Amino acid sequence: MTNQNTSANYADDLPLNPEDERKLDVVGHAGLLLIACAIGLVANWVGTGTSPLTALPGMAALYVACIIGLALARFVPFYLPSVAWVSLIAILITIPGVPGAAWVSEKVEHLNFLALATPALAYGGLALTASEFAIARRSGWKIVIVAICVMVGTYMGSVVVADLFLRLGQ
Amino acid sequence: MTGKTGAASGALYLHILVLAIVIVSELIGIQRLPIGIGTVIFLPILYAFALGIVFNPAIFKASAKFLSRDAVKLSGAMITVAIMPFIAKFGTTVGPQISKIIEAGPALVLQELGNLGTIIVAFPVAVFLLKMGREAVGATYSIDREPNLALIADKYGLNSPEGAGAMGVYATGTLIGTFVFAIMPPIIHGLGIFDVRALAMSCGVGSGSMLAACTGGLVAAVPDQKDIILALAAASNILTYATGLYVGMFVALPLTEWLYNKARPSERRTAA
Repeated sequence: MTNQNTSANYADDLPLNPEDERKLDVVGHAGLLLIACAIGLVANWVGTGTSPLTALPGMAALYVACIIGLALARFVPFYLPSVAWVSLIAILITIPGVPGAAWVSEKVEHLNFLALATPALAYGGLALTASEFAIARRSGWKIVIVAICVMVGTYMGSVVVADLFLRLGQ
Repeated sequence: MTGKTGAASGALYLHILVLAIVIVSELIGIQRLPIGIGTVIFLPILYAFALGIVFNPAIFKASAKFLSRDAVKLSGAMITVAIMPFIAKFGTTVGPQISKIIEAGPALVLQELGNLGTIIVAFPVAVFLLKMGREAVGATYSIDREPNLALIADKYGLNSPEGAGAMGVYATGTLIGTFVFAIMPPIIHGLGIFDVRALAMSCGVGSGSMLAACTGGLVAAVPDQKDIILALAAASNILTYATGLYVGMFVALPLTEWLYNKARPSERRTAA
């Protein structure tokens, strides 16, 4: 289940093996994805007031994009994470001029992007394992400070570079 | 593995619990708290994550009756599945804006190298201020999400000092990353120094929840720029998925190693 070459026991349940996607069970994921999409429709309903029926065609389009992305991650002979494939498919089917692009763009407009992330975060909170809490606790306050510096540094580094080149491009 | 019926009911409880958490979180909705230098924005994803932790069987013992170990494992698998419709929705914001994305192309590509800013900010703090040892290499070379952690596991093993540092930042980032990425961008936008497009395209750091938090905060702060914020963030996140591992492997990690050896010449050792 986990990487054989990871030596630490407590790392057993950390998500470390991107190559696992190559053995991904697309059919099993199709069922789980259906559950996720249903909960996403409810999140969108409660969050924005858009009825699930109105949002359904857009969600169906996203579902198909996800399945195609998963299948590509599974069967294409070079590695790209399934989320990257899903993104690329979603971009492709909404570029103006591509057949059906206007329809997809109009239908997904009924879905709030942030509401669609809510279910994943709920699963995320529930999925944390005792060892993840233990690692955070054992690492202590120094790691918390460093982690905050890492996040701020990663973000601000990009902001400064991006801002500079946007200015140069004008 | 428990019996089939046990596993099935554990899974059912999991999805129902998630549904309940999602409904409560969306009912609370986006909340704004004005502070001196800007506005702190609280998003439903924050409440959903916090409620998930509250009901996590490792924290709340009564949950363990309903959520078996298998259900917790399934929950882990469901994160990557449940984030996919979000990622797909994000992708659909790029297509209609494709000409503006191409216009911002050079900035978009080069800001990926800006992710090395973690080394500039976090490395000195870890090594000089907090006097950390080789943990600092694993902790500060990248934002330590899954692919970066895998690289450290592969190169040093996870029970090395470097592995401990990387795992510490990984676990901490998992716990507070959503919060940090929801709070930081609106405050920085409030400074009025940076182009909102720069703030948007920096949201793609290779983590779905950090991406959601970052763009959610920005859109709440600048609602009229929503379309371009989403499109740029989505495009940069895809670039990070595609390049993050390679930047880490060929640039960030060697650079951090080199810096560490310069900072602590007495500890010099050759990398395994």
